[in-house]
Amino acid sequence: MESELQLIGTEEKDILQEIMNIAFGNAAAELAQVINIFVVLSVPYIRVLMARELPEYIKSEVTGCDSVSIVEQDFWGDFQGNALLVFQSGAGRELAFMLNGDDGIFEPGVTDRFESEILMEVGNILIGACVGKLAELLGDVIQYSPPKVLIENHANDALPQNFFDASCSAIILKTMFRFNDKDIGGFLFLVASHESIGWLKGALAKFMAQYDE
Amino acid sequence: MRISKILIVDDSPISRRMIKSSMPKESGYEFFEAGDGLQGLEMFQEVRPQVTFMDLTMPVMDGITSVQEIMKLDETASVVVLTADIQAKMIMDAYQAGAFLVLKKPPTKESIQDALNKVEERES
Amino acid sequence: MSELKQIFDTINLGLVIMDRELQVRHWNRWMARCSKIAPEEILGRRIFDFFPMLEHHLSFQRNCKSVLAFGSYAFFSQKLHHYLFPFPPANSFEVKFEQMQQSCTMGPLRDESRAITGLFLTVEDMTENAANEQRLIEMNSQDALTGVYNRRYLETRIREEFGRHRRYSRRLTLIMFDIDHFKMVNDNHGHPCGDFILQSVAGAVAARIRVTDCLARYGGEEFSCLLQETDLASGMLLAERFRRQVEEMEHNYRGTKVRITISLGVSELRDDDTLEQFVKRADEAMYRAKTGGRNRVCPEPERFELPFNSQLIAAEGPLAGERPFHS
Repeated sequence: MESELQLIGTEEKDILQEIMNIAFGNAAAELAQVINIFVVLSVPYIRVLMARELPEYIKSEVTGCDSVSIVEQDFWGDFQGNALLVFQSGAGRELAFMLNGDDGIFEPGVTDRFESEILMEVGNILIGACVGKLAELLGDVIQYSPPKVLIENHANDALPQNFFDASCSAIILKTMFRFNDKDIGGFLFLVASHESIGWLKGALAKFMAQYDE
Repeated sequence: MRISKILIVDDSPISRRMIKSSMPKESGYEFFEAGDGLQGLEMFQEVRPQVTFMDLTMPVMDGITSVQEIMKLDETASVVVLTADIQAKMIMDAYQAGAFLVLKKPPTKESIQDALNKVEERES
Repeated sequence: MSELKQIFDTINLGLVIMDRELQVRHWNRWMARCSKIAPEEILGRRIFDFFPMLEHHLSFQRNCKSVLAFGSYAFFSQKLHHYLFPFPPANSFEVKFEQMQQSCTMGPLRDESRAITGLFLTVEDMTENAANEQRLIEMNSQDALTGVYNRRYLETRIREEFGRHRRYSRRLTLIMFDIDHFKMVNDNHGHPCGDFILQSVAGAVAARIRVTDCLARYGGEEFSCLLQETDLASGMLLAERFRRQVEEMEHNYRGTKVRITISLGVSELRDDDTLEQFVKRADEAMYRAKTGGRNRVCPEPERFELPFNSQLIAAEGPLAGERPFHS
């Protein structure tokens, strides 16, 4: 892996870490109160990588899943990049129960179509919550592309090698999430583009300036 | 109760900095800091602050347990719990453990001042 | 008139602006034209006053809350939701859909301090796109929604089986069935629920047939099942099993519990049949099941005459299962 300190300093990383803790904590709280989605978002994790290293990195992080479903969404403001939500396969159906607060038995013959629908809707909401709160703390306003279900039920090495713009470097912000009652877990990767990193450094400094005199 | 000593327990040095910076200036407070719940407990015993600001998610000993342990040492202690993920269950757990107040992160000058006012108004 | 206002009223897209309480603040000309609700009528009123079904639309509710809480965007695709607003299709040539098919987007609106003060909703007419897609899918043999075969394929199969019947006197039976009161399901619970029911029923029936049988979606809520090596009596038995199973199923669509029944008609292939006659008899039997009270199985209309081409009988063997005076 390339040297991480070239792009973002140790203290900047600590500040970003704390901001992420706050952002994702706030996101989880509002998801519970507003949407009735009860999710635990784990303490996030920060790496800086070259974009070409990303598919391999993501694959190595997603351990314990034979096959996965991925929801992908682009976001852009001053802070811009891609969000990838990686769920275990079959998560769509579990999430469907969870969203309705109902333990109805799933019918035979229900196709992947509804799993896809649920994943996209939950994915869109989760990504919007996490990125939205992060942007709010940093004083940014974000727009989103419609979510895509990138792959479904394929082995987790199916993320295309050329998916990310290879020349760029990227900050990966990784969190794990768990829906409390049902054991549906997954990962959220936020890949901020190269351009964003410059802006991010400024935004982090501005954030702390509020607190320091 | 007049406040002279404030203990801040949080595993993130940035967060401790943010909490400290939100405190009113020139109030003569003496600050003490700890990086995990166990350290926080030890420091509480040593320093006996009038108010403790406690983060919930920490290694070694988490916030809720730390609150409980502090209350065992001194049931009149004022512990203000801070958390970003402020949900009903968590709030209840904190109060049941003995917390005096639960604040939402990020801390602001207003929320911190308000907490300090409430602690001062409290009967010992 | 400002340029923005001109765009707002001339763009070929529905635009609605609502505040945090979902009261309508702007209703553009496209929405007015399609809904036949003038802006003056709806401004200041909650959207649910005019579109009560949206209040129970789980996805719509959830996404409104999300947009207002997080400033995120919500996307209601035509494929999954069909439409949010029940408008008649604008294009009168297109008869595939009863309602305009729509793709909608929702997003936040902010004031100078960047606080979220409301949301916007765009509505795009996707009826033509949806119709084109349907035509494309029909060119394959699979029904896109349920995964069973489509009508075109079924008809091909029947033709094949005709040949086999003629050569080897193999019995062939056809079950036609459809979902009772299906329109009510769509009206009461929405099209996504209706789609879900179609999939469930197709799945349940598909599980009970053999590899050599062919289950196809014949029309909107109509299915047919072609049974090789099966006579009328056996066909009736199987149809009754389908009927019982569907009657007992409780469908759970996102928390809403729905029960439905099916009406079935059964016919057996005769020597002198054309494809149309074979299918028609099953269809007529199904119709009798419906008029007879629904949730039942009816055999093909009685035969009042035996085939008098005795040479044909001799050559092909007896047509067992033929009961000219059965009820």
